Amino acid sequence: MKLQKPTRLFAESGESCSMALSALAAHKLRSVLTLLGVLIGVFSIIVVMTTMRALKANIEREISQLGGQTFAVQKWPALYFGGSEGFEKYWRRRDIGLAQARLVERKATLAGSVGIEANLWGGQVETRYQKTPPSVQLLGETPGSFPARNWSLAAGRAVSETDVENARDVCVLGDGLAKTVFPFGSPVGEHLKINGVSYTVAGVLAPKGGAVNGEQDKFAVIPITTALNRFGRVRSLTILVQARDAASYDDTVEQVRGILRVARKVPPRADDDFELFSNNSLIAQFNSFTRAVRIGVSVVSSIALLAAGIGIMNIMLVSVTERTREIGIRRAVGAKKRNILTQFIVEAVVLCEIGGVIGVLLGIGSGNIAARYLKVPPVIPFDWVILGLMICSVVGVVFGTYPAWKAANLDPIESLRYE
Amino acid sequence: MKLFAEIREGFGISWDAIRANKMRSVLATLGIVIGIVTVTLMGAAIGGLNGAFLNSISALGADVFYVERDNWMSDTWDEWLREQKRRPIRLPESEALARQLTLAAAVAPVSYVSLPVKYKNHNSSRVTILGTTEQYFPVSGIGISRGRALTAVESAGGRPVCVLGTQVATNLFPHEEPVGNRIKIGAQSFEVIGVLEKQGTLLGLYSLDNRIVIPLEQFRASFVGNPEIEIQIKAAELVQLDEAREELRQAMRRVRRVAPDQPDDFAINQQDQFVTMFHRLTGTIALVGLFITGLSLFVGGIGIMNIMFVSVAERTREIGIRKAMGAKRRTILLQFLIEAACICVLGGLIALGIAWPLTLAVRQWLIPTTMSLTIVGIALLVSLVTGLVSGFVPAWRAARLDPVDALRNE
Repeated sequence: MKLQKPTRLFAESGESCSMALSALAAHKLRSVLTLLGVLIGVFSIIVVMTTMRALKANIEREISQLGGQTFAVQKWPALYFGGSEGFEKYWRRRDIGLAQARLVERKATLAGSVGIEANLWGGQVETRYQKTPPSVQLLGETPGSFPARNWSLAAGRAVSETDVENARDVCVLGDGLAKTVFPFGSPVGEHLKINGVSYTVAGVLAPKGGAVNGEQDKFAVIPITTALNRFGRVRSLTILVQARDAASYDDTVEQVRGILRVARKVPPRADDDFELFSNNSLIAQFNSFTRAVRIGVSVVSSIALLAAGIGIMNIMLVSVTERTREIGIRRAVGAKKRNILTQFIVEAVVLCEIGGVIGVLLGIGSGNIAARYLKVPPVIPFDWVILGLMICSVVGVVFGTYPAWKAANLDPIESLRYE
Repeated sequence: MKLFAEIREGFGISWDAIRANKMRSVLATLGIVIGIVTVTLMGAAIGGLNGAFLNSISALGADVFYVERDNWMSDTWDEWLREQKRRPIRLPESEALARQLTLAAAVAPVSYVSLPVKYKNHNSSRVTILGTTEQYFPVSGIGISRGRALTAVESAGGRPVCVLGTQVATNLFPHEEPVGNRIKIGAQSFEVIGVLEKQGTLLGLYSLDNRIVIPLEQFRASFVGNPEIEIQIKAAELVQLDEAREELRQAMRRVRRVAPDQPDDFAINQQDQFVTMFHRLTGTIALVGLFITGLSLFVGGIGIMNIMFVSVAERTREIGIRKAMGAKRRTILLQFLIEAACICVLGGLIALGIAWPLTLAVRQWLIPTTMSLTIVGIALLVSLVTGLVSGFVPAWRAARLDPVDALRNE
């Protein structure tokens, strides 16, 4: 009976698979050793990729401090890799003062909200319960910063326009800080001292999701005018701008850039004398800095797989020589060259895949143990799992083809005569 | 004597066996070659980075102490902030310290300020100005390429003279001889009396040539009246480094009147702090790198083991005959061990032949690498060990074969 072509192909590959499995089972030690090579190769790729993915997720979360569709404008670059010489350029720029920031706030008609921020570095917070080390981050803000920073309130109220106008001594605490300095009851309405000056707590922010270490919300927010009065006016401010929606984001960026260029009298064609960045641009920038490292690591970790592939080729060659008689018989009873070729390639691929699957499992496990040790949440890099298994098949095909080709080209008569 | 003969015979047999199965031997060797090449390259890269690092901090001097308010390597942000609240170190403390120290070769107070400098129409906008004494030159070990250094008289009298770093000299005087000319630092006029030797950068980030050395008294008169200083002390004897450090610590505590139960309110920094930090940082990276590359060597070793098993199985009859003729277990064991070791060492040699030009290429294009004799030795040793370890189990199996069964094997 002549079978339909797809059915025949299916039957043939099914047969090849079962033959491959029984051939592997026949030489257990040999199969296990060969498989071990692939296993280690895949393991090294997956373990490195899992660890890197976990670290990357962590770094991206650290970088992403802005809300959605928000960008920030400041004098300094947000990420800078290089020597102090290159930094001169940023030193020479004029500060972004409160007047310029207010101008942007007034003129940026496309923006949903505009916030102005002053970073005051470390401060010491003191309450009747607790005294922190002088490393609490202090931020001077306007009401517009709250949506732009993606802050929501857990209790009390945000910094209001009146607070800013009157430079009131009020503060809003980050969740981590609030829990440290007010261990009992609600902090709202309580008093605390920042660097020895008394402030009233107006509100507490909701904790940011996904923080692993409690350090993230360890900051206090005061009105920007209070900040400038207390900590000095000679400083460059950050302007946070949130677009109304994703569609108008690019227009908003352009509008703000235009306003600032006019305000800072940047001549046409000259580069901006300020930096614009968002979460996405920061992540992209970070990735481009680390690209070389990532490529290097991927290459180094896949070298073991190459060595494993050579091992497979070697053992398949031995296997072909040993089974010359079997091949001769198969050819004599009507197997085509193609059938023999498929048989040996499938055998190599099956061998690789078994090693690959075990390697992937071990790799994910060890990678996540490393992630746990580095205190980052576990991840499963599905794309690399799939890629790893695909690479396994490719290794099987590439390194199995020559032995299979050799087997397929054996002369049936000669191979039957083989002792 | 007999063992020696056996080893020599073992070599002959393995060489024949390797040549008999050329394809097989080549592939097995290739596995080892890949492993050794990657491990060697990784080792060379780590060695090169270490060397480059040590070289880049050599400007700090191994026997120089830097007494400053804050530690170069504060462990935590909190600690650093706390250090910032310490009393600044002032000039009288340096003078008092210099009187008390016995194990110091030279003591130099140094104060820094960053200012624009100008000569005719050439400008340099941010140059580090060092106010110091003539002692700075013996302490830092910086030589003079042209002109002369500060003298004790100039230093004590606070003369308006300056010694330029090479970068400043080339920026301000592209076509002229700097020595003898007058430059403007900030608003003050200074006579150039010398140019320093080229220093390079510190850790590749911070140029040590973009600086000007002037007398501290002039620095105080022109720029900062009561500057915060750091005190650089060169130990007299390298062998007495720890004693010098301890003496310095005690003297500094006396000078700053630190009560006996209080911790130091200053930090004594040394070059080796950088080295410790660097090793802590790179130790993990090196370990992970060697582990990952070591895996490929391991895979190569497995390939050898596998092929040796095949070889033993194929040559069961041969083993049987040899044993029947009176070969001992040891002889058979040696034969197969030598075969595996030969393949591996051969692979190691080829790998070194490949890794050597690769190292040069990497040094040219990417990162500094050094291929030392140690690495070569280790690579060969590792390949030998790989061969012995991966060959041992198959060889053991061959040696333990029962001669009768082996002969019967078809």
